[in-house]
Amino acid sequence: MEQKKVIEKISNEYGIKKIKFKKIENQQFKVKINKKEIINFLTYLKNIGFWQLSLITAVDWIDNNQFEIVYNLVSWELEQHIIVKTFIPRENPRITSIINIWPVAKYYEWDVNEYFGVVFDGNPNNGKELFLENWDDKPPMRKDFDPLNYSKEKFPEKEYKNFRMKRKREVIE
Amino acid sequence: MYTKKLMEKIKNIIRGHSLFMLHYCTGCGAIELPPTMTSRFDMERLGIAPMATPRQADILLITGYLSAKTLRRVIYTYEQMQSPKWVVGFGSCTINGGIYYDSYSTINELDLYLPVDLYLAGCMPRPEAIINGFERLIEKIENGDADGWKHYKQNREWYKKNQKQALGDSLYTTR
Repeated sequence: MEQKKVIEKISNEYGIKKIKFKKIENQQFKVKINKKEIINFLTYLKNIGFWQLSLITAVDWIDNNQFEIVYNLVSWELEQHIIVKTFIPRENPRITSIINIWPVAKYYEWDVNEYFGVVFDGNPNNGKELFLENWDDKPPMRKDFDPLNYSKEKFPEKEYKNFRMKRKREVIE
Repeated sequence: MYTKKLMEKIKNIIRGHSLFMLHYCTGCGAIELPPTMTSRFDMERLGIAPMATPRQADILLITGYLSAKTLRRVIYTYEQMQSPKWVVGFGSCTINGGIYYDSYSTINELDLYLPVDLYLAGCMPRPEAIINGFERLIEKIENGDADGWKHYKQNREWYKKNQKQALGDSLYTTR
C-alpha cells in the first residue's frame, strides 16, 4: 500500500486529528505521540498489520532534559516501516511496558533499562543485569556519564620510567 | 646442579618446538588467524598448532580487545592451563587499549592482569607479523626468557589486586 493511503487510514481510524506524520523515505515514516497514548496506539498499529516489533531504543536529550523512547515497527503486508516516538522526563523516567503486546519487548526494554536507567512498569527485569557485570556507576549511555574518566579510574595503565625495563620484568614489591 | 641446568636447557628447546595454541578470539584479530593456520602461510611448519581445550594448550593467544566481562573468562582459562604456559597479546588493544582507550567496559593494559610474554603490535598484525612474532616467542622460550607463568605464581597477590580492581571483589562469580 502507498504511504499516503496508510497515513490516511491511520489518521481517520485512530481518531486523533493532531497526530503529525513525517515522511522519511518512500517506505518509512515517523510519528510523535503522547506518553499516555502509547499502549493504545501500538495495539492499534499491531492490529492493522504492523505486527513486527524490530527495535526499542532510547535517546538522551540532555539539553531538553528528556528521554526519547523509540519504537520501530515493520509491516510486511503494507510494506511500510513506522517509527513511533515518545518523550518522558529525565528525572525519574518511567513508562509502561509493552510486554503484553509483544513478549519480545522484554529484552529490548531490559537493555534500555540497563543502559539508560529508564524504568518500564510491568517488566519483571528492571534493575537486573543483562550485559554489564558488577556495574557500579550511573547507566553508561547517558550523556552525563564520562567514559574516559571511568576508564582511567577503573582500568589504569602502568607507568614506565624507563621504557627498556619492559623487556625484563620488574620485580614487584 | 650442572645437570639440572642442562636438563632445563634441553627441556626449553623441546618446549619451543612443540607449541599448542589456544586462540581465544575476543576481538577482531581472530580474522587474521585462519590465513595464518591454513595453507597459504601454514603455521604448522613452525611447530605451532591450534588446540581446542585450555588444559592441553601452551599458548594463550588474546586476539584483540578485552571487555571486562571477557577478562573474567580469560582469567578462568589461564588458570586452567598447565604450566609452562605463555600469553601472547595480539593487536594494539592489548597494549594500551587501542581505539577503545576511553570505553567504559574495555580494559586498557593486559599486562596488569595476566603476564604477557610477547606483544604483537598493529591494528591488525598481518600473518607475516604473526609468524615473525611466533619465531621471536620460540627464541625467547629456548633462551628461557619467557617466564611469565613463574612471575604470575610469585606475584599472585599483586595480579589478584589488579584483577579485583577491574572486575569487582567477586572474581569467580558474577554476583
